[in-house]
Amino acid sequence: MSKKLISLLLVLVMLVGVFASCRKPDDGDDEGNEGTDTPTCSHTYTNGCDTTCNKCNAVREVAPCADENGDDLCDICGTNLACEHEWESVCDTTCDKCGSTREVPHEYDNDCDTTCNLCNAERTVGEHKDGAEGVYDAVCDVCGATIEIPDILSPEANAYTYNDAVVTLASNWNPHTYQVADDSYPISYITTGLYGFFFNESFDGYVIKPEMAAADPVDVTEAIKASHPNFNIPESETSGYAYKIALNPNAKWATGETITADDYIYSMQQLLNPEYLNYRATEYYAQNFSIAGAEEYANQGQTLFLENALNAGYEVADLVKDTNGNYTTPDGAPVYIAVDRPLEDWLGGNSLADYVGAYGAGYFNMSKWDSLYALVDDEGLVVLNDSTLDMLVTTISTEAWGEDASNAPSYFYYSKTYGDFDWDNVGIFKSGEFEITLVLAKSLAGFDLFYNLTGNWLVYEDYYEAGKHTDANGVYFNDYNTTLELTNSYGPYKMTQFQSDKFMVFERNENWFGYTDGKHTYVHPEDGETYDMYQTSRIYCQVVPERITRKLMFLKGRLMGFGLGSEDFEEYRNSDRTYVSPSETVFFLILNGHKDMIAEREKAENFDQTKNDLETMTLLSFRKAMAVTFDKEAMCTAVSPADSGGYGLFGEAYIYDPVNGLRYRDTVQAKKALCEFYSVDVEGDFEGDLDAAVESITGYDPETAKELFGQAYTEAIEAGYITDTDNNGKSDQTIEIVYAISTDSNFMTKLLDYMNEKLSEVTSGTPFENKIKFVKSAPLNTEWSNKLKGGEVDTVLGGWTGSALNPYSCTDLYTNPSYQYDAKWFNAATITKTLTIDGEEVTLNLKQWSDALNGATVTVTVGEGDAAVEKSYNFGDGKADVEVRLEILAMIEVAILGTYDYIPMLQEGSMALLSHQVYYVIEEYNSVMGRGGMTYMRYNYDDAEWAAFVASQGGTLRY
Amino acid sequence: MIKYAAQRLLLALVTLLIITLICFVLIRMLPRAPLPPGDPHTAIIEAKREAMGYNKPYLVQFGIFVKNVVTEWDWGISDNTYKYGKDVAQLFAEKLPATMVVNLYSILLSIPIGIALGIWAALKKNKMTDHLISTLTMVVISVPSFIYAFLIQYFLSYKLDWFPFLMEGGDLFSWKVFWSMIPAVLSLSFGVIAGFTRGTRAELTEVLTSEFMLLARTKGLTKFQATVRHALKNCAVVIVPSIFGEFIGIMSGSLIIENIFAIPGVGSLYLDSINHRNYPIFTMMTVFYTAIGLVASVIVDISYGFIDPRIRMGSKK
Repeated sequence: MSKKLISLLLVLVMLVGVFASCRKPDDGDDEGNEGTDTPTCSHTYTNGCDTTCNKCNAVREVAPCADENGDDLCDICGTNLACEHEWESVCDTTCDKCGSTREVPHEYDNDCDTTCNLCNAERTVGEHKDGAEGVYDAVCDVCGATIEIPDILSPEANAYTYNDAVVTLASNWNPHTYQVADDSYPISYITTGLYGFFFNESFDGYVIKPEMAAADPVDVTEAIKASHPNFNIPESETSGYAYKIALNPNAKWATGETITADDYIYSMQQLLNPEYLNYRATEYYAQNFSIAGAEEYANQGQTLFLENALNAGYEVADLVKDTNGNYTTPDGAPVYIAVDRPLEDWLGGNSLADYVGAYGAGYFNMSKWDSLYALVDDEGLVVLNDSTLDMLVTTISTEAWGEDASNAPSYFYYSKTYGDFDWDNVGIFKSGEFEITLVLAKSLAGFDLFYNLTGNWLVYEDYYEAGKHTDANGVYFNDYNTTLELTNSYGPYKMTQFQSDKFMVFERNENWFGYTDGKHTYVHPEDGETYDMYQTSRIYCQVVPERITRKLMFLKGRLMGFGLGSEDFEEYRNSDRTYVSPSETVFFLILNGHKDMIAEREKAENFDQTKNDLETMTLLSFRKAMAVTFDKEAMCTAVSPADSGGYGLFGEAYIYDPVNGLRYRDTVQAKKALCEFYSVDVEGDFEGDLDAAVESITGYDPETAKELFGQAYTEAIEAGYITDTDNNGKSDQTIEIVYAISTDSNFMTKLLDYMNEKLSEVTSGTPFENKIKFVKSAPLNTEWSNKLKGGEVDTVLGGWTGSALNPYSCTDLYTNPSYQYDAKWFNAATITKTLTIDGEEVTLNLKQWSDALNGATVTVTVGEGDAAVEKSYNFGDGKADVEVRLEILAMIEVAILGTYDYIPMLQEGSMALLSHQVYYVIEEYNSVMGRGGMTYMRYNYDDAEWAAFVASQGGTLRY
Repeated sequence: MIKYAAQRLLLALVTLLIITLICFVLIRMLPRAPLPPGDPHTAIIEAKREAMGYNKPYLVQFGIFVKNVVTEWDWGISDNTYKYGKDVAQLFAEKLPATMVVNLYSILLSIPIGIALGIWAALKKNKMTDHLISTLTMVVISVPSFIYAFLIQYFLSYKLDWFPFLMEGGDLFSWKVFWSMIPAVLSLSFGVIAGFTRGTRAELTEVLTSEFMLLARTKGLTKFQATVRHALKNCAVVIVPSIFGEFIGIMSGSLIIENIFAIPGVGSLYLDSINHRNYPIFTMMTVFYTAIGLVASVIVDISYGFIDPRIRMGSKK
């Protein structure tokens, strides 16, 4: 068998050999093989005697050189016929004897080969090329040679390398599709916004200046309203809807092409293309910056189910019935009940069916549930009509679930189908070679407009088109800005090296207008010298997943910064290279006040009321005592040193005036609010010095705490919450405050140990000595907030991260039941407050104050009987004086703190070491500018000096 | 033997399909990470999921997946926050070489050292050398490899400054990258060396006391000759399959070591795909590892017959 096979193979080999040997030299291709005549080539020859085509090397027959005039030179080509030419090499073009010339091309292996194969002559070639089809393997795509990646850390004089480390390297920095913060890393370097933030001259605030724009936007609302009625600008509006933006004519791509209005239009068209479903499209229509028609264009052809609570917010009275008795929106869109569909807003991503399935009759009225659930369609929805509405209301209207008919709209969904929409109706168009016009669906002006234009949507057309592809389902994807090859920059830096999950390198983009426009300089606030921005010449960002490795590298001088962990605080917190950056979040000790649930828990079989108590926790005196039990600064030192003490509802980072960068906590109103809450007598104790009064607040008063615990004991005995059967003046019951933990950790143990230790100290000698303690709940994962809101657990150290530039919006978090942690036991609508505004006494409840502060028009009836009149109030941005708004904000702050549902404990912050190689121009942290970032970063040493400095320190640095 | 191998391969194929189906369905059954309430991107994400077919029944999705793989070798495109838009098969192909190279160097270092130490310990059985090697082996096996990794990084990179902290990027076969991966190779090798040492010593110790070894010695062979010619051959039945096993490990890499030394390999890709619930990447890698695991087990089983002709797989007699 095998012999036959071998024989067969041999025969085949022979046949192939015979066939090959029989082939003619000219195989008919057009490759111009030597010795062939290529019919498609329009031959060119050097002269009449030249036999070889200069294009295809085809050989022709010509008459030999002739010398009829007897000068020994060919009459046609000038060759010296008498000379026996001598050439130095096969490639030599000039005869050594007669000086005649000839044309002989060098031979090279490929475009990267520098040495002629015939004569060893050297030539200069370009750099090796890598990255064909997006594959970067450090092997030249042309010649296969290994490409040495430059040693990034090789120190060079006058080079300033910023060595950065990340845990996860960006993999998609496409401005249309990136989703997570890791992916946005390159964007800040390779792009520039239409407008940008800069420090003001005194470096205590910021200014906004044109960058990719040439000037501030010009409001052309009136003109556009007249010329483009298709954008539907309301007739009554005269400003804030349309802007002309002159573009910076010096802006260029890193590849050299000028950026024009066409680039902006093309980029927006791609971003909003309905087939592409780009993640970032919503940035341009879903929030306060909304381009006219963008939503309709981007969603055309789709039917979206929208959560009522998140969108229009229809009440039942707003809806209309169709001929079948089913409810629709005023626009005619069907309305549904989300029975088995997640409700992101109202139920935190769970569905009503999830809750009913989990809690059943314990929380819900099940009498009509099965009927309702039987109507659920494939989308998890039930059509809304009177019958299904009744089923829903019946199900949720229980004391345990705490809802009634008024909550029903929170379970509504409505559908919206987008029809075809023409691009011409989208509010962005070219109005000049270097000018675009933006038309907005909602008016926007001032800081908010500039702020929304500090980003950019530009993409480079050639690379963007090259990056388009689809998967097997026909779903669109784009590789633009995911590889080095498909990345183009128009920012201060350009990406020059990239290896996925390993490193990326940025170097100065010399085509960036900012390096030559003379506007990107600043005067140093200390030395008075003028410096260029962006001193950094190269940014090397590598993946360093492990924190301990980052620390060792930092100490070796190989990283520019190192974020401190709790284990590093002790060693480095006092270093002069340690910087603390506050964040927006204030952490509160949120205390359970849900009396019904607490009573229910106490009735449980496993709860021994003779030994334990929970109800005392709901006494105001007890909560006040808890508020002054903990020394917050000491707590930070012990538990979380990067944080600082938290004292108010709003932290240090909130800015109430974004235009001027003014902080809420620095205002008179905010300072008075703190003094009022902490009962500081400004006039009596501090002679009216408000700053000194605020400085004195520590939130820690053990003596007062002891008194309050004593008062709480008396009240609890009177209320029958606790007993003292042996009349020893101490509670028989222990108050175990259940702390909600999502997952257990060393931090939790440390925190609770600390708080129990302090409680023990403060209650010593009081009736609650050793009778109050914090205990951990079981790990609750993401359920911790629902458990806390439901009163099933008693406390947590939690808070909100609001918008740093809009503290007013945060009031909703404490007055809107959708967000409140304490909604089950605190109703903001029941607390009324009166303020004198412009000489008029205005009385509203907290919810109304909050709504009016955030731009809603609140109508109330003032007076009684025949004297009753309706009055409307709106204290939103632009509707009321800033001082008035601050006064309202401070009033709400005091009122919410006064519930003692939220006891301020910690102001969140982070702490990081900065390398000796660099320094910040400004030490103080600014909520918007930080400390200037890469724009203002200055260097103490260039790379070579730094290497020498590190070596002089023995290779390891001390901080 | 051929029939046996065919049967095993067929069985492996069926197993692969079942495991793939289970993993495919289970990961899709995991609840999605919820977006913050009010996130305006919800509608777009939902529309994308719909377009990707994630709202179809699981078995229909599985059918489409198998069809795409079989007919077009299309393993899909990463479609969520993790590696968005990347071709999954290409992504895997980019990551595999780094993992393989590091682990290959580790194996090449470990096999001779491990076997040599095992032989040495066996030949010096119950002497100080044996005790020393055996104790060290136990210690090394007991300590997780990431401990060595940090120790190596601390002493060799931080204190002595001999090596970079992390594996360098670029050509895997350049001197610079090779030098930078030595700490990772060492970290991986300790455990493997100890494993080979212990296995070889245990097997060889038993074989050295066999009667045929006594016969060999009585025929006049020296101890060295008898060990090399007869004892080691018999040990191979155990050692060689374990080498195969280690080679399989090359593919899966070491997640922790890759993480510590920032090796851009497949280990972190696999874990991240699970953490991010990235269906295409997870499915592709699961299928790959399941496949090579099954193939390896078949190869190991068949290899017994080649190593020791007395072993006949699938034979009824």
